[in-house]
Amino acid sequence: MTYAVSEIRSAGKPRRKRLSHAAIEPWLYLSPAIILLVVVLLVPLVIGISYSFRKFSAFKSEYVGLGQYEAMLSDQVLGQALVNTLWWTVASLFFQFFLGLGLALLLDKPFRGRKAVQALVFLPWAVPSFLSGLTWAWLFNPIIGPLPHWLFALGLKAEPTNVLSDPSTAMWGPIIANIWFGIPFFAITLLAALKSIPSELHEAAAIDGASPWQRFTKVTLPFLAPTIAITVMLRTIWIATFADLIFVMTEGGPAGSTNTVPVYIYVSAFKSLDKGYASAVAVLLLVLLIAYAIALIGIRRTLVRHV
Amino acid sequence: MKKLTIMLATVAGLAISAGSAAADSTLKMVEVITSPPRTEFLKKQIAEFETANPGVKVELISLPWGQAFEKFLTMVQAGDTPDIVEMPERWMGLYANNAQLEDLGPYMAKWDDAKTLGDRAKQFGSTVNNTQFMIPYGYYVNALFWNKKLFKEAGLDGPPATLDDFIADSKKISALPGKYGYCLRGGPGAFNGMHMFMNIAAGKGGYFNEDGTSTINDEGSVKGLQMLADMYKDGLAPKDAVSWGFNETVTGFYSGTCAMLNQDPDALLGIADKMSADDFAVAPLPVGPSGKSYPTLGYAGWAMFANSQHKDDAWKLMATLLAPKDNLEWAKEVGVVPIHNGADQDPHFKTEQFKGWFTELSDTSKYEMVTPPTHLENLGNFVDQVAIKNFQEVLLGQKTAKEAADAWATFLTKEQQDWLAKNKK
Repeated sequence: MTYAVSEIRSAGKPRRKRLSHAAIEPWLYLSPAIILLVVVLLVPLVIGISYSFRKFSAFKSEYVGLGQYEAMLSDQVLGQALVNTLWWTVASLFFQFFLGLGLALLLDKPFRGRKAVQALVFLPWAVPSFLSGLTWAWLFNPIIGPLPHWLFALGLKAEPTNVLSDPSTAMWGPIIANIWFGIPFFAITLLAALKSIPSELHEAAAIDGASPWQRFTKVTLPFLAPTIAITVMLRTIWIATFADLIFVMTEGGPAGSTNTVPVYIYVSAFKSLDKGYASAVAVLLLVLLIAYAIALIGIRRTLVRHV
Repeated sequence: MKKLTIMLATVAGLAISAGSAAADSTLKMVEVITSPPRTEFLKKQIAEFETANPGVKVELISLPWGQAFEKFLTMVQAGDTPDIVEMPERWMGLYANNAQLEDLGPYMAKWDDAKTLGDRAKQFGSTVNNTQFMIPYGYYVNALFWNKKLFKEAGLDGPPATLDDFIADSKKISALPGKYGYCLRGGPGAFNGMHMFMNIAAGKGGYFNEDGTSTINDEGSVKGLQMLADMYKDGLAPKDAVSWGFNETVTGFYSGTCAMLNQDPDALLGIADKMSADDFAVAPLPVGPSGKSYPTLGYAGWAMFANSQHKDDAWKLMATLLAPKDNLEWAKEVGVVPIHNGADQDPHFKTEQFKGWFTELSDTSKYEMVTPPTHLENLGNFVDQVAIKNFQEVLLGQKTAKEAADAWATFLTKEQQDWLAKNKK
């Protein structure tokens, strides 16, 4: 691209024709990818956004302008859902990341049976989320599941009740299931990044008298930083838009205490049949996540410079 | 996305009868209240029909009930309509008001088996515009399952006859360690049970007054709602019951965690499997202060799409499935009360377990059946989402019974009055 541009700048008139070719040529090479992106990404996005200016019932729809967005402003359910989404995302991400990092560091050291352990800890990642949701929901159910009785025996609960049915603790159910489900992702990606750190660096640092902690902070972390930044960003967006577990385990209940924005979008679109409102909420979520991604990329830039 | 959903739904639930001989016509049929044995049974009845009608093939699509509403709606919106669909009462308003369904009146007029068809089938199948848009295949009537063992342990000798007994018995049973009186349903599908107790407490059945105003926030109704909230607060129902759906309440009952459960005959299938017939029975629901009780009567049936290309064959299949013999077998299989007169004389239904339901159905002076206002288009979302969330808030003490009931009344009154205005003849 830059090549073509600089050529245009230095070009005389007679050569304009050839240059327009030069300007078009890269786009021609890119066209298959661009067409694909436009068709599968941009077109649905534009249609989705256009839905947010309409009001739908099952078989009809009408244009309502900004009506859906105005309705959003006074929607208490949405307010609660935003808070829940933040809580769900931050808590899930925090534990997934640190437990995943710990696991990656453990698996980075050779020990007997490492291959088997590795295969085992990556298993949750392979279980369909619907199935994990159901399994965890049953585990938390005191009539058939062991967890409430264990918590009761450990003295963590006054009586063996279901955490999912108490609004003050219900969010922890899906969060725990999500942590279990998401640790392998961080473990896999961070382990791959760890493997790529040259061992000479660690040896050199050890010879220079660096403590294990210093080696971790001065050698391992800087090398992991780019991977951490990108995985944390991706994972945040995935968790924030991930509705399966919550929907299967609590359907957003009891009394809306686990209702997150994606669950609310799903319910608005498919249960309340109001695709327009669902699209408006989805646009809001999109804007929030884009803002987050921009902020994180900014932070990463300063961090990398700092390192 | 639509296409994908449909594809997934079809792949997940497609059941094409074996043999690919070129048929003269292929009927597409969708079942929505699905369970594996039930699907097997339906396939068997369809196979018999195909044998009797060479040249007609039936393609059965089974949707899981949990996602049936949105999956089926997506299919219809995409123009992928079946010839025949299993129609739960609460979807009637949506499809019938949008001119999707065929009027079955003319077909029924020429149907021999219409002679034995109970009046209720005609009444309930034509709630929208007085047109027979569906024919029910059976009724889900609520009655009270009670655990004989737990009652005995608590020093009680029979099921509660009145609402006061119901609370007193619940208290006695809940005094046993780790046991509860009532298997309350606060989660998915909670509306019917809740609304039923509100009606019983109010001594008035149904949803609306003549002028279209809702009765759901009448003083008596609010009392009934408060009663359930108090029972929950006082530990007469398990703490978890706030989010219980069908499976959890049934599990709670047969595991002996809670002693009373209001349910339809279809819950009997699972319970009879796990409990011996001597340990439990089904009684009519307790009566309220008015001396009457108001069991919820739900139903589902078969409906035909107006744009079907094979209406005569589709009707043939419906008539076969709804014939007295097939309907009786079907009712036994899926746990509904059959639609043809005289079915209660069948030995299968003459047990202690079925007594509660038939008592309710036969004693019209004491038991008034309440059916959902299926003509309202936005009923499904209200019953399945809004009302349940508010009910949970009431149970958990986040909202008063009055607040919730008033909000429901506002919604229901508006819906009903809009409908009345539109349908003034």
